[in-house]
Amino acid sequence: MKNIPAQPVKMIKWFHDFSWSGKLSAAVILAILLLAVFAPGLSIHPHNTSTGAPLQPPGGKHLLGTDELGVDLWAQICYGARVSLLVGLGTAFLAALGGGLVGIIAGYLGGWPDKFIMRLIDIMIVLPDFPLLIVLAAFLGPSLLNIIVVLALFSWVFPARITRSQVLALKEQSYIKSAETYGAGAWYLMWKHFLPEVFPLVAVNMIRLTGRAIVSEAGLSFLGLGDPTSKSWGLIIHHATSFKGIYFTDFWKWWLLYPWLALTMMVTALAFMSRELERIADPRLGGRRFSVH
Amino acid sequence: MGRLKKNGFRLAEYGFTILIVITLNFFLPRMMPGDPFLVLSSDSPEQEEIVLNEEQREFYLHHYGLDKPAGVQYFTYLGELCRGDLGYSVYYREPVSVIILRRLPWTILMVMAALVLSTCIGVILGSLSAWYRERWPDKVLFFSLILLSEIPAFLLGLVLLFVFAAGLGLFPLSGALTHFADYGNRWEKLLDILHHACLPVMALTVARLGGMYLLSRNSMTTVLEKDYLRTAWAKGLTPGRVIFRHALRNALLPITTRVFLSLGSLVGGAILVENVFAYPGLGYLMREAVRVHDYPVVQGIFLVVTIFVLLANFFADLAYRILDPRIGDYGGTRGG
Repeated sequence: MKNIPAQPVKMIKWFHDFSWSGKLSAAVILAILLLAVFAPGLSIHPHNTSTGAPLQPPGGKHLLGTDELGVDLWAQICYGARVSLLVGLGTAFLAALGGGLVGIIAGYLGGWPDKFIMRLIDIMIVLPDFPLLIVLAAFLGPSLLNIIVVLALFSWVFPARITRSQVLALKEQSYIKSAETYGAGAWYLMWKHFLPEVFPLVAVNMIRLTGRAIVSEAGLSFLGLGDPTSKSWGLIIHHATSFKGIYFTDFWKWWLLYPWLALTMMVTALAFMSRELERIADPRLGGRRFSVH
Repeated sequence: MGRLKKNGFRLAEYGFTILIVITLNFFLPRMMPGDPFLVLSSDSPEQEEIVLNEEQREFYLHHYGLDKPAGVQYFTYLGELCRGDLGYSVYYREPVSVIILRRLPWTILMVMAALVLSTCIGVILGSLSAWYRERWPDKVLFFSLILLSEIPAFLLGLVLLFVFAAGLGLFPLSGALTHFADYGNRWEKLLDILHHACLPVMALTVARLGGMYLLSRNSMTTVLEKDYLRTAWAKGLTPGRVIFRHALRNALLPITTRVFLSLGSLVGGAILVENVFAYPGLGYLMREAVRVHDYPVVQGIFLVVTIFVLLANFFADLAYRILDPRIGDYGGTRGG
């Protein structure tokens, strides 16, 4: 893992080790990524204005039908993928950055900073994040940025824990010791030795964090408390389920089903992917690094 | 460090966290932009907006104690909380604590039922899986439970609602009790409550099952390889005795803490599931309160839920320390 060009080769090797469920998950994630990136090209109809009769079943002009305002559902799902991915990746990135830094500090310094950080992590893991998310959405306004920041505040503990244990193990390695005796400073060690070693594990954890964040955002939107200006999958489900008497009509067969499918597929694919990568990246842990969260 | 001292430490830690949560709760509304008394807003466009003059504003600020320094306000707030006073709901026109106490039993019922069910079923299936490790029952169980547990509880709840309640009509669509029902006796009421709670509890249970299953599977697998189990087999004990008396008892130990460690996410799931089924617990109330901008209720629920979760964890911590005296300073099994 020392030299960078080996990384892509390694990734191809990883992919060969994937089970069929891992490969399927990779395909689903890739498909949704493409959906999000090429959303304007993939959807003929706009995602925010009415283009047909309301509550049209799938087929004909509208691939997946329309909602109660006659807005094309396929376009909404394409653009919804953008919101979900933005929240997921944004949160994971912020959390990995912050958590990684905190973890390195805790592991490298040891002593009371380490003790303090570990206690903080213990408490953060126990605190329920969803009620706070609702409170903050109520008070500060449910913008996407607020949601990402709050989710990151609750997610950094996982990368921090991984990084800390890695750094603790690395610190005892003879090559780190010898680098230290040659006068390597904390920054040098961090950039040259700790980060390259720790990065793969944190990157794998980022996938899990992405999934968690997407679920939380979808939950908040499902309650109708998400960002009303960006129509995520959760918000489509919210509109569908708040439609009076949707149980007794056929509308749910497209209006509710397709965003539900998109969300479920995305979340399970991310989970299976991270499980797969965890297994390959750290065979010692096997299935044991499973958080109950 | 003596055990007593360590437990005191723990208590101080949780107490400190609760204080932080309370402080956050105190400052949040004060961080909001605007001044509540610049304009007394009107509910409908026909109604005229009342702009207060300086004198009236000062009167209201004084009436609500908002002209005092923040420190004094903070301690007044703490004092009120200690007396169980969570403020007054503007929308429901009732003290917040009264509203919360009325809704709390439903949420506790749901969360506790899901907690117990998922733990019991998870442990049983996990032990089965460990027993048949790498053979087909293990593989089938592993794959299906992992898949199910990755689907969030509210999405599962939607499926249950549409299939079993709307489609097949086996369960009621919403609520916790039949409206205006006339129960002949207590049993009928209990049955009605169970009937209504069935689907929400099922959604929460299934979503949490995978975690408990994996945990007990790993724990059981580790225990099954131990020497004292070989001894137990060698003594010629029956499989039932070996599994229940020797293996399960030891395997259960690490599971006890995890039961409550995941309580936070279970509560988050419960808030969402209550909204799927319009179940009249705290989660449903919280969403309602946010939508009508009844901030004291939102804050009250947040506080009650957080303190409940923290307390449950504290007691689980304590119980674990008593159950397993080997546990060290860092709480051994907590990491990973």
